[in-house]
Amino acid sequence: MISRRDILRKTALGFGSIALTSMLEEQVLADKPLEPKIPHFVPRAKRVIFLFMKGGPSQVDTFEYKPRLQRDDGKELPFAKPKVTFAPTGHLLASPWKFTQHGQCGHYVSQLFPQVAKHVDDICFLHGLYGTNPAHGGASLKLHTGADNFVRPSMGAWISYGLGTENANLPAFVTICPTLAHGGVTNWGGAFLPADYAGTPISNASVPAKNARMHHITNPQWTLAEQRLQLDFLKQLNRDRVGNVANSDLESRIHSFELAFRMQTSMPEIQEIGDESKTTHKLYGLDNPVTENFGRQCLLARRFCERGVRFVQVTHSDGKVQWDQHGDLRHGHAEKASEVDQPIAGLLEDLKIRGLLNDTLVVWSGEFGRTPTVQGSDNDGRDHNPWGFTMWLAGGGVKGGTSHGATDEYGFYARQGKVHIHDFHATLLYLLGIDHKQLTYRHAGRDFRLTDVFGNVVHDIVS
Amino acid sequence: MLPTLCRYGSTMICRLAITCLILLTAHTALSGEDAEHWAFQPVDNPPLPEVNNKAWIKTPIDFFILARLEKAGLQPAPPAANGDLQRRLHDDLIGLLPGPNDEFVSPETTIHKLMATPQYGERWARHWLDVVRYADSNGLDENAAYANAWRYRDYVVQSFNSDKPYDQFLIEQIAGDLLTATDDAQKHANLIATGFLSLGPKVLAEPDKTKMEMDIIDEQIDTLGRALLGITLGCARCHDHKFDPVPTDDYYALAGIFKSTTTMDSLKTIAKWHENSLATPEENKLKEDHDALISSQQKTIAAFIKKANEQLLVQQKLKQVPPNPEEKYSKAAKDELAGLRETLERLEADIPVLPFAMGVVDGEVTDLPIFVRGNYAIPGALQQRHFPRALTTGEIQPIGNDTSGRLELARWIASKENPLTARVLVNRVWRWHFGRGLVATTDNFGKLGAEPTHPELLNWLTSWFIDNSWSVKKLNGLILNSATYQMSSQPSPAAIERDPNNQLLSHAPLRRIEAEPLRDSLLQISNLLDPKRGGYVWTFPNFELVFNHTSEDTTTYASNRRSIYLPVIRNHVYNLFELFDFPDPSTVTGHRNSSTIAPQGLFLMNSPFVLRTTEALATRLLNEEPVDSVQRMERLYALVYQRTPSGQESKNGLAFVDRFSEVRNGKDGDNDSSAAWQALCQVLVSSNEFLYLR
Repeated sequence: MISRRDILRKTALGFGSIALTSMLEEQVLADKPLEPKIPHFVPRAKRVIFLFMKGGPSQVDTFEYKPRLQRDDGKELPFAKPKVTFAPTGHLLASPWKFTQHGQCGHYVSQLFPQVAKHVDDICFLHGLYGTNPAHGGASLKLHTGADNFVRPSMGAWISYGLGTENANLPAFVTICPTLAHGGVTNWGGAFLPADYAGTPISNASVPAKNARMHHITNPQWTLAEQRLQLDFLKQLNRDRVGNVANSDLESRIHSFELAFRMQTSMPEIQEIGDESKTTHKLYGLDNPVTENFGRQCLLARRFCERGVRFVQVTHSDGKVQWDQHGDLRHGHAEKASEVDQPIAGLLEDLKIRGLLNDTLVVWSGEFGRTPTVQGSDNDGRDHNPWGFTMWLAGGGVKGGTSHGATDEYGFYARQGKVHIHDFHATLLYLLGIDHKQLTYRHAGRDFRLTDVFGNVVHDIVS
Repeated sequence: MLPTLCRYGSTMICRLAITCLILLTAHTALSGEDAEHWAFQPVDNPPLPEVNNKAWIKTPIDFFILARLEKAGLQPAPPAANGDLQRRLHDDLIGLLPGPNDEFVSPETTIHKLMATPQYGERWARHWLDVVRYADSNGLDENAAYANAWRYRDYVVQSFNSDKPYDQFLIEQIAGDLLTATDDAQKHANLIATGFLSLGPKVLAEPDKTKMEMDIIDEQIDTLGRALLGITLGCARCHDHKFDPVPTDDYYALAGIFKSTTTMDSLKTIAKWHENSLATPEENKLKEDHDALISSQQKTIAAFIKKANEQLLVQQKLKQVPPNPEEKYSKAAKDELAGLRETLERLEADIPVLPFAMGVVDGEVTDLPIFVRGNYAIPGALQQRHFPRALTTGEIQPIGNDTSGRLELARWIASKENPLTARVLVNRVWRWHFGRGLVATTDNFGKLGAEPTHPELLNWLTSWFIDNSWSVKKLNGLILNSATYQMSSQPSPAAIERDPNNQLLSHAPLRRIEAEPLRDSLLQISNLLDPKRGGYVWTFPNFELVFNHTSEDTTTYASNRRSIYLPVIRNHVYNLFELFDFPDPSTVTGHRNSSTIAPQGLFLMNSPFVLRTTEALATRLLNEEPVDSVQRMERLYALVYQRTPSGQESKNGLAFVDRFSEVRNGKDGDNDSSAAWQALCQVLVSSNEFLYLR
């Protein structure tokens, strides 16, 4: 008898893929939850690397040049500040960094990102991004899951659910050294989605990338040959005992051990970067102690993507306050930028050389930006700003060398080309070939989606 | 402006309240379609259906199941093998394995015996903790320690063990602080019970304080709705419920009750929740006396210094006290002062810690207006506090101004007239035994929830439950003694063909054991289980962040106590739990998933926990009599599978031990290799026979 799955395999699709429109067929999902799926329409990108700058980098000190702010340093903001803010701020504070034009597009980038600046012609800047929550936790949850006070699946989980993985020996969604703070696991969790879709963490932010490993990926006691014996015997036991019970659960259990066994080789192999050339190491800044940590994370991201992982998140976070400079902006932002500038530029270049940038979407963002108004006793800090900030995208289907939207003349509120977090999610899914309104999951009697009841695709930025 | 978020996530376009149809006209009960929705009907007591195979019947439940099977032309599966049934009952009732020497006299005796053990409460409390989103930390944005949450957990364990009537159990959790108690112990239990309202995740750094307060109230209402009534009341915060008869004014009438309740002591970032003191007058007195001692010692020291300084001025003929005057004191004065300070330090290190419990008390009584689209900046008409009228028969009685109305609310929820409360619980209990509720959506009995597969049975059971004084133990007994529960899990070919999802229950479900029984059983068979009951394993300073931006989580799970006593850290749940479908502790969960994912395989293959317990199990085998390897194999099978291995199984197992030690040690025939025996133990506990209940 031909099963429904057989039909799905054999019709038109041909690649062992499942059409997204039939995804809700539970049997199909339960059988092979991570099977690659055919998207709703032609995808511009096949995979995503999300570079998360925890703490909130300032847009007016990095990628959005505000001449008026430079001119009016020390003056009062000529319009009202938001009613509810994280903390009070004072007068306008000009950026301590110079902005210069770069590339053919002539986009202004500050001195903080000299290497990334070389790639502006591949980058699409969203200057009109905005969210709602001015605290780290809420903003981070909103960015990662679309919801700030309920537990909802993360965008990586939705994407794994929507598209599956291209490599049966690897998870679909990997997050490298994520922070446990401000939402923690929820930021890469699957919430009510089946467990297969949750992100697989490679340690967390308290562990240097060099030592970061997936949980339980190696055995301190048995060799692979010894484990092979165990698994063969396990298979025999399972077959002997429940051979006549036709149950897909028991079958999947047997397969899951085999996959686990293979992952023990496939995951560490990705983290063994010895086979990369010296040039590549240098490209990602692995030769420099300042950039080594984040550089390694970026290189791992490329290696995961190359092998078919769908969504890789790289978090720039350590034991300190990251990009969260309520004070000490000059030093703090300079230090943070110096840690990531070369690795990010290296990643973009490397992806390009390998022909991966065409169908890999790179996303750079914090959970919010920072206020153009000052904070701190030394006139050297900025507060959280979810009302207008910059995110940038590069590669997979976006128009390089462009910018979309803008904040007001000082950089406080998104004014033109406004893109809400929900719109970003809708656009992200669109670039991957998914209609955000159709990617739903039925839970507790309702159909949920990443964009809840919101979200508009920003078609202007699609190439 | 940005539309106020509909956090309840219906993908149906959630229009704003203004365009919403009012589902109900004021002051009338249900109308039209709402009136017909099954879950809002009064509970009735349907007659037992006619069946042919009367010999199969063991309890009234079986009539309902069999009637449907017969109608579909299906036969119930034969009774489960004794060993399978015994394992199933142990897992269901205590979450542990039967001991190798436990005799199985009859299901009745086992059920009776297990429900009388204290382990019963430890197993059943965990189900309830899933429902009430129990955790030991706040999670969400600022992960502050709920260091007193364990008291609520212990209260739940005790309540299940004492078989507290479910209606009373609910009243205590909603309004325990407003009940009169006969003694201190009862008074404290009542206060602790209200932790139910306080345990939810809160946005503790929310800069908008009014929003924070309304969000916390919303979380309470939402939890109350889903956990106790199986309806999503929270939807009505922003608009009339799209599908269920809960208009916005009902929501704010209910919100007024919680607005009149004190859940938080301070909203200042990082906000602090309220805790009730559990101290006895003696303990309070002890603390006061101790504080007085400290204060008096401080005064003594200050006086001593003052006097010594004055003497210094006189002796050394100074005009003013020099900097660091103490350095100039005489040796005797220095020694005396050091002695005084030492005493103070000792006192300060020894301050009696007074017991507190998370919970609520009544606050300033007030009504709330409707907040249009959930936005408090747009207040609408004031709503006198009352209960959702769709679920209320007769006139709506507004609540007076001398009380928050929480106790009245509690009694309304826990009343037998409420069509939802008992139904929802009976369905939960059914789910915990069968892996699927009669209503599959255990937390949603609204129109978007699933229809019951056996509506008459649900009604009958509900009515029986109420008649049997809301006793969960009795309900468990009724279900577990049924022929339905005691069937084998082997489906017939006809059942596979005609009812592949086993909706009609022609056979028992095959179920994977849950995270806690998995862990506890491994500790049990390796002789490591620490049976200590109650209290806390984890001591983190109350209100402090369990981890912050450093991402360094210092929580440990090394304890060998039962899983229910391990800390539940939101945003970073214990890895074993998370892998094996422990619910997200921020949300109401009546139905746990049962996933099969490769990381579970990695856990069983490589985790320190599994290696540690299997090593202990192997050591136990090798140290225990008998020493013959065939007998050892029998012992291992008895511990892990509670049965004797067949001759072939024994042979295969020993062949594995041989082969493994050969590969490992390069020599064969070493039947005493502890590594090889450990490897074998690990295979056995990774097998389907161990991981699944048949």
